[in-house]
Amino acid sequence: MSLLELSDVNGFYGNSHVLFDLNIDIEHNEVVTLLGRNGAGKTTTLRTITGTIPRREGGITFDGDDISEESVDQISNRGIKLVPEARRIFPTLTVHENMQVARDMSKGREPRPVEEMYEVFPILDELRENRGRNLSGGEQQMLSVARALIQSPDLLLLDEPTEGLAPVIVDDLYDVLSEVVEQDVTVLITEQNVDFALDLAERAYIIDKGANAWEGTVDELEQRQDLLDEYLSVGATDAE
Amino acid sequence: MVSQGLVFDQIITGLSIGGRLFLIAVGLSLIFGVLDVLNFAHGALFMIGAYIGVVAIQSVAGGFWLGLVAAAVGAGLVGVLIEVGAIRRVYHREELDQLLVTFAFVLILTDVVRFVFGTGQKVVDPPALLAGSIRLTESLALPAYRGFVILVSVLTLGAIFLVLRTTNIGRLVRATSSDRDMAALMGVNVPRLYTLVFFVGAALAGLGGALAAPTLSITSSLGDQVIIRAFVIAVIGGLGSFGGAFVGAYIVGITIAVGSLVVPGAGELIPFVAMIAVLLVKPEGLFGGAEA
Repeated sequence: MSLLELSDVNGFYGNSHVLFDLNIDIEHNEVVTLLGRNGAGKTTTLRTITGTIPRREGGITFDGDDISEESVDQISNRGIKLVPEARRIFPTLTVHENMQVARDMSKGREPRPVEEMYEVFPILDELRENRGRNLSGGEQQMLSVARALIQSPDLLLLDEPTEGLAPVIVDDLYDVLSEVVEQDVTVLITEQNVDFALDLAERAYIIDKGANAWEGTVDELEQRQDLLDEYLSVGATDAE
Repeated sequence: MVSQGLVFDQIITGLSIGGRLFLIAVGLSLIFGVLDVLNFAHGALFMIGAYIGVVAIQSVAGGFWLGLVAAAVGAGLVGVLIEVGAIRRVYHREELDQLLVTFAFVLILTDVVRFVFGTGQKVVDPPALLAGSIRLTESLALPAYRGFVILVSVLTLGAIFLVLRTTNIGRLVRATSSDRDMAALMGVNVPRLYTLVFFVGAALAGLGGALAAPTLSITSSLGDQVIIRAFVIAVIGGLGSFGGAFVGAYIVGITIAVGSLVVPGAGELIPFVAMIAVLLVKPEGLFGGAEA
């Protein structure tokens, strides 16, 4: 049985229809990437999974249970944890407090010790008492990932984790995430940075204009320069 | 020339006015800081607390102390009804809609109280234990009840800071107030947390009302008077800031009391002058922009 299954999912912001009969299927312990141009609907897809989109229709099951009507916190408490594109660190709380909130909210799940995260992210150890709003983009991204990992996710959703990060930070993040994906966790990652995503993932979905365009293994995709050009290349003629 | 003793008396009076205003302003600030809703009905919750205090004092011996607890719980529960019954449905609407919904409750609660208790004034005495005064020097004495009100307000401020800074629930409240969507994504049941915060804010208003009962003549329009002062405090201190609510409440209390010595009959006006001055110099309030 799949861990996450989206079948013919439609998504709406007010009157605008943004996702069209989307199908995604993720098995336990798989690492899947969701690719597509800016505006293709990647973040919106994650929002339909987490329940933060204003209106969604279609079947969404997690571990066999229908979650299409559940609230954001109920879905989260099933073990679906998002590292959002904007990082969303609590700005007035310290690094340590951000982690403590994550730990305290791991309802019904055994949280990972905060101290363990400082070993994974030594840079955060030095910043314990710094407020979230004073962190750099890279530090915020590390904290956002750490905060999600503390909650022992069954399904980790990473939304554009490398966006806006300096190359050296991207390398650090890669090191951390490549260890994460080795563990007992299922990951869905959206990226503009195709190389980064393909290095981590085993399988890929490409979406375009809110609908499925292609799916297959990463090995297949790496052989298909035509797909990369058509759907992902920033230099393509119809790029936004 | 006003005598030194008179000035001292007025300062004590002002501190005591500040103390009870703080309890309403801090609840208003708490609710605004976390829920982002300006609760116009906060004055009405204060008024309900005052009536509960009056009823308790008049009906049982030692009723004052019981009244403090009953007023906090009673106003808190009315607050929960308001939040769950109405405000919860307008979180995603414009601020004006939210303000109108809470204003509707001002009218409803005021009329309900008028229906039950009539339009006459209620006056009660402080409990015997706090009836006297504490002699400080030969010529200066602190009325015990006023001292008690000041003490309660200081303890309340300390308790709020302690809970927010050092407890798990306090940390959760601060996290949710800074980003409620992310808090929900991490598994926080935001509506339930909001109800809890509204209960606490309303309970503080109720406690303030019951504390004020022995120092005021209580009528069903008490809330109107109080909510305007609470807004003045919020503007002076910076809405959402607890330290600001504290300083603002005492500035308003003292300017009312001492101001009436300087400009007899016009003491009530002075807080508004202070508010205008703050708005001109520091529009976000004295403590605005700082973390709650």
